[in-house]
Amino acid sequence: MKYTYKIFTIFASFLFVFSCSDLEEDRSGILSLDNLQSEGDLVAALTPIYKQLQVTYRGFLIRTNTFGSDDLTTWWGGNKAPLRVFDGFNYGNGENADINWLDYDWKGFWKLIYHANSLVNGLQTSTAPEASKAIIEAEARCLRAIAYLSLVKVYGNLPIILDGMTPTGDEQRATVLENYQHIEVDLLFAEANLPAPGSTANVGRASTSVAKTALADLYLTWAGWPVKDPSKNALAATKAKEVIDMGYHTLLPINELWSMENANSKESILSAQYSKEEGATGNQMPAATSFHMARGWSDMYPELQFFKDFPEGARKDATFVTDIPNRGFSGGKIVTKTPATISWEKSERFHPMYGKWTKSEDLTVGPRTIGFRPIEVYRYAEVLLIYAEAKAASGSMDASALEALNQVKRRAAGLDPNAANPSVDVTSATVNDIVTEKGWELAGEHKRWFDLIRTETLEEVTAKRDPKEQVPLVRQPTKDQYITPLPAEAIATSKLIQNPQGFKIR
Amino acid sequence: MKQTKTKFFLITLLIAFCNTLFAQLSVSGTIVDQDGQPIPGVTILDDNNKTNGTVTDFDGNYTISVPSDGTIKVSFIGYQSQSIAVSGQTNINISLEEDISALDEVVITGYGSQVKKSDLTGSIASVSSADFENQPLIRVDQALQARAAGVAVTQTSGAPGAGYKIRIRGANSITGNNNPLYVVDGLVVGNINNLNASDISSMEVLKDASATAIYGNRGANGVVLITTKSGKKGKAKIQVDSFFGTSQVVQNIPVMTPAEFAEGVNLRDAAPGKPATIDADRIAELRAGAGVNWQDYFFRSAPFSNIVVSARGGSDDIDYYISANTYKAKATVINQDFNRLNLRANINAQLNDKLKVGINNFVSRSENTGARVNLATGIAWDMNTPPQNSSGEYNSIPLVPGVGNGTNMPLLVPENNSVENISDQLISSIYANYNITDQITLNISAGIEKIDFTNSSYEHGITGPNKAVVKDQQALRLQNTNRLSYKNDNPDHAFQADLVHEQQSFEMTFREATASDFFTDSTNFKELSLAGIQNTDSGISNEKLESFLARINYSLYEKYLFTASVRADGSSKFNKDNRWGTFPSGSLAWRISQEDFLKDHSTISSLKARASFGVTGSQAVDPFSTISIPGISSENNYPFTGGIPSIGVAPSTQMPNPDLTWETTTQFNIGFDIGLWDSKALLSVDYYSKKTEDILLSRVLPEFVGPTSITQNAGEVENKGFDISLNTVLYEKNDWSINSNFNLSANKNKVVKLVDGIESMVLGNIYYDSTFPVNPTRVEVGQPISTFRGYHFEGVYQTGDAQGTPGHAKYRDLNNDNQITSEDIGNIGDGNPDFTWGWNLNLDYKDLNLNMVFEGAQGNEIYNFQRMRMMGLGSAQFHAVHADFRDSWSTTNPSNTIHAGTQAARDANQWLSSQWLEDGSYTTLRSASLTYNLKDTLSVLGVEQFKVFVNGENLFIITDYSGFDPVSTASGNSDVDLGIDYNAFPISRSFSIGFNLTF
Repeated sequence: MKYTYKIFTIFASFLFVFSCSDLEEDRSGILSLDNLQSEGDLVAALTPIYKQLQVTYRGFLIRTNTFGSDDLTTWWGGNKAPLRVFDGFNYGNGENADINWLDYDWKGFWKLIYHANSLVNGLQTSTAPEASKAIIEAEARCLRAIAYLSLVKVYGNLPIILDGMTPTGDEQRATVLENYQHIEVDLLFAEANLPAPGSTANVGRASTSVAKTALADLYLTWAGWPVKDPSKNALAATKAKEVIDMGYHTLLPINELWSMENANSKESILSAQYSKEEGATGNQMPAATSFHMARGWSDMYPELQFFKDFPEGARKDATFVTDIPNRGFSGGKIVTKTPATISWEKSERFHPMYGKWTKSEDLTVGPRTIGFRPIEVYRYAEVLLIYAEAKAASGSMDASALEALNQVKRRAAGLDPNAANPSVDVTSATVNDIVTEKGWELAGEHKRWFDLIRTETLEEVTAKRDPKEQVPLVRQPTKDQYITPLPAEAIATSKLIQNPQGFKIR
Repeated sequence: MKQTKTKFFLITLLIAFCNTLFAQLSVSGTIVDQDGQPIPGVTILDDNNKTNGTVTDFDGNYTISVPSDGTIKVSFIGYQSQSIAVSGQTNINISLEEDISALDEVVITGYGSQVKKSDLTGSIASVSSADFENQPLIRVDQALQARAAGVAVTQTSGAPGAGYKIRIRGANSITGNNNPLYVVDGLVVGNINNLNASDISSMEVLKDASATAIYGNRGANGVVLITTKSGKKGKAKIQVDSFFGTSQVVQNIPVMTPAEFAEGVNLRDAAPGKPATIDADRIAELRAGAGVNWQDYFFRSAPFSNIVVSARGGSDDIDYYISANTYKAKATVINQDFNRLNLRANINAQLNDKLKVGINNFVSRSENTGARVNLATGIAWDMNTPPQNSSGEYNSIPLVPGVGNGTNMPLLVPENNSVENISDQLISSIYANYNITDQITLNISAGIEKIDFTNSSYEHGITGPNKAVVKDQQALRLQNTNRLSYKNDNPDHAFQADLVHEQQSFEMTFREATASDFFTDSTNFKELSLAGIQNTDSGISNEKLESFLARINYSLYEKYLFTASVRADGSSKFNKDNRWGTFPSGSLAWRISQEDFLKDHSTISSLKARASFGVTGSQAVDPFSTISIPGISSENNYPFTGGIPSIGVAPSTQMPNPDLTWETTTQFNIGFDIGLWDSKALLSVDYYSKKTEDILLSRVLPEFVGPTSITQNAGEVENKGFDISLNTVLYEKNDWSINSNFNLSANKNKVVKLVDGIESMVLGNIYYDSTFPVNPTRVEVGQPISTFRGYHFEGVYQTGDAQGTPGHAKYRDLNNDNQITSEDIGNIGDGNPDFTWGWNLNLDYKDLNLNMVFEGAQGNEIYNFQRMRMMGLGSAQFHAVHADFRDSWSTTNPSNTIHAGTQAARDANQWLSSQWLEDGSYTTLRSASLTYNLKDTLSVLGVEQFKVFVNGENLFIITDYSGFDPVSTASGNSDVDLGIDYNAFPISRSFSIGFNLTF
């Protein structure tokens, strides 16, 4: 008995004294971004920036706020109400800020900007080689600038959130001009530090031609609405010319451009990659541009007037599908029904479809058509047209600018772009001519809307809209429709002021 | 299982035909108490001849002459009377059990303390096995439902074996966890999902701060103490309980006929120059009976069965309770099955007169199998397309493309995909109790809880790209508690003190493998190496907690009772400076009926007033909440080369907050207990007021900040309310006995403050981002935690109205700017009930027992998104199926409740609006059981007791709610998205029969 008592006292006092060695969390399983040491660390931190580019460009959703342009319309039915809001201009005074899809680019690009800011911050303490650090920083800032530019074009002025800042959510919107200025700073840094195009096997990574093209895009935008600083046209021309003069990029034959094989060709300047090795996610562009009967979602197709005006030729054939595939889904596979195609006039949606993305579509993965071809963010044809337009706008139209325009026109006709051909070549061109050409060349590629508002031609283009379009116009657009309402949830969780009250240009 | 049942039925039959001889017998024996001590003076009567009787002698012995088929009745004051069939036995030894009045019942208050109900100072609801033994139960939380005042037990899902949410006196925290703390036999456990209800001896729910403060940092949400059965000294008793039956959903949702659906499709799709989507010939076929009501395919009559076998007994030194349980159920929704197995062994041994040791062991496995059909989209799918074509192949997509909604034929997923979720749980605790002196006791215990989850799923190629995911998750909890107790034995100055040291650790690890691009579907998730693409993920987290506790109880002249406690907790979840928290409490009670002026009062048999005050805490945040956690997953990888993606490390989506600390709840409680007419009526009333401060709030940040959320200590929430419970013996005469147990809980929940300067916050995240661009709920100062957001629906514009398009929905223009913008979204209601109530009515007539459990809630609203979707609204929803759509506006039917069926009217319709808000008040007969006690009619076979019963669950629900039922919601355990009905698993109505055999 005594013995037991002793054991117990000893045991008890031991337990009362003994305690968990400490109350610290074991954080050994958590990686830190504050300690980027090797080249590999840098790439790991860079990867999620590009990932957001990929996510944001994955489908038609990035275009939601730009459906007012004449190269896009949507299905009069289904779940396309948010697209119809923009197609029919049912916004402009704060209404419809709370609809689905509106904030898709908002979320995707802000996340990209956050990832880029974090990487640039991490570089301050990084012990990696300086040369690698400079390239990585240039890439991060290049993509950050592209994301910012894209957001400013859609929503107007935004709060400035860059590296070295610790935002709280209380930030206010800057002006459009201030946004352009920090975008320019980023792109100039990127231009100076990025490698030449084609210098790496990493086809998805940015080269100096990406920075130059984005600068040209920025300056052209800067010259137009809303800031309207015409002095920027010359800068746009200079940057576009620098890309042309590199001599690396070329135009592909138009009927081969959109094939899977010609992904990441020399025409591509920056594209978002969608690898099958990632799984069956791919991109939604084939489904977005296919009708339901072709196993798509009928999200976006060209307006009738735009299609009618589009000049006949090789480019029209490569841009559109007029015999709509008639497909079903059975036994886990997409099957072709009889008849195999139905002409667009009699098809489900009474419109032609875009063919740029269905050319490389994959019908073997699941119930809907899907794409694995990279999505073009910038391609060489745009650089040529920016150059031509900037020259024309700055009143310095010359042979080189006409040649740039004519290369695009020749290629569109199925001809060798570099061989002069009087049957298609023009000897003069106005800004309007070039913007129209750009609309055809880049139809459906998330460019047309920005050209229309930049040049303030949205109103006149909309006036020509075919009355047979099924999506009704709620109103004729005015400047109030040039910018998108900020997402309602962003307004609710911050101190941002909604458009148009919060829209400040300078 | 089946065989066992058959055997018992055979035995029953045999017994029924057995005959015995009727002759006068001399019966003798000994009568003892629970401890085996003989009781002198016990009355033994011949039940059929009350003049024939005797009493036991000093050694408890008796002899009586009775007919061999007769019955003897044994009674003694202070003990429960017993009737025993002689059945030819000549020697009958009887053990009498003490007759404990309700007030003498012992209540467990945590850390080894047992207090008589009459001596309680805090607010504690107690439910013992006797309260629910006549209701067939699967889950432990079911037993609490409707039985404890202040305890809201909500069945949020009708899936078998799942879906209960418990809130004790409202929700304190906003985004933090509001679940109570579960303590099983002294060991804190992660969940009580797998426990066997028939293993439970009693459950105590600690409600006020004086009761919960001893659980310090985890006591704020209330504590549920579960005590499992232990052995009793005496002859081994073997008990077999079994029941089986079938379930069905309470009701289907009314839909249009397929032909009406097709006409609606044509109306909506109508556009200039466009032919009808579904042509007239097909509509004629639909009218003739083609087409589908999808609910007919999704629901089924679902059988279930349960059997429990247990044995309990003991000698002077050792007692034991062991049990085994198996429960199998199919769900009312197709292709959903549930199995549960568990074993328990509780053993105690008195090693010598000072030292007692014991072990409680519990192991279980539960399995959920089958891919569930998506009810939200499935019910709203194309009614024109049957699941199969004439040759038996799937119609994977609508016959007419673009009809219904964007999903595939709803049966593809449940009929082809595989899901298997397995949960294995081990709870084991061991203790040693040593009486250092007569007054000082040392108790040391240690316990382990281990839960392994294995979740496997496979998406078949027929539904889309094939993909398998297998996730193994392991949780390990270790606990050590050391308690030193002192207790004097002076009844005038009864004093008790406890000192406790406790330490716990919790570790969670997971490993996940995702595989896709299988060349065959035949092995599904069982052979991941057949996949072309294989990814892995893993994670680990840990937390530690150390605590010290002191508690004293003091009772002066059995009239004035005091309790005080203080607990200090240190948690690894917080940084060093904020780590330790101290949680004090105190309470007092006055037993007024012990005073001379009320003693022996004819009406008032007992009266006690109580008051308490205390502070508890909550550390309900995830580990690593104070720091940044980089994002590492395939969501951050990118294929730079266009081929194999490179691995990415993204910055944290959580903003670090090193200052994070405890959330504290201060609670004040005042109450009284009164017993009337010799305790025939016992009324307890409690008023409480709780204030929770420094709430652990996970706040959504605007996108431009970068991280999407931050966990902060911000805000205050108040809960005030009443708990009332009334236990009455309504009638007790002759062979009748009617007992009623009614309770009512009213809780008013209010957000007092949020982050400084912010009046409202968006915190729910179930729907935001996935279904709605604006969250359907938000948290707002001055409102309950979850407030429904939406436009105020004000009817439909009619022809001739000055404004608006006829047939389009009309919304209130809150800011009078003549436009309907997101600024016109307002508060339209909330999902919190004004009060909830439960009523357990128990009727005994001779050997028949009827036990009924009623339950209800009043004043809560439900956001019926299931109906919204069935009306053809919602993202990816193309056409309406709901029967209400028949009443949609047209020039000939000027409806003011449902907008027109055209596409334009649909586009102008807001999904978030009061049009979809409904009253969710209800009254239900949750359970009704009729039991017939055959007692010892089978005694020749050694059977001590045999009961048979029939039971019905959810026999009726009285409600105005139009969905499946007003109980199940998709919000699950969340308190910020309370009361949203969307793809919820409906609860079921079930019928069962069963028996209970003891031998």
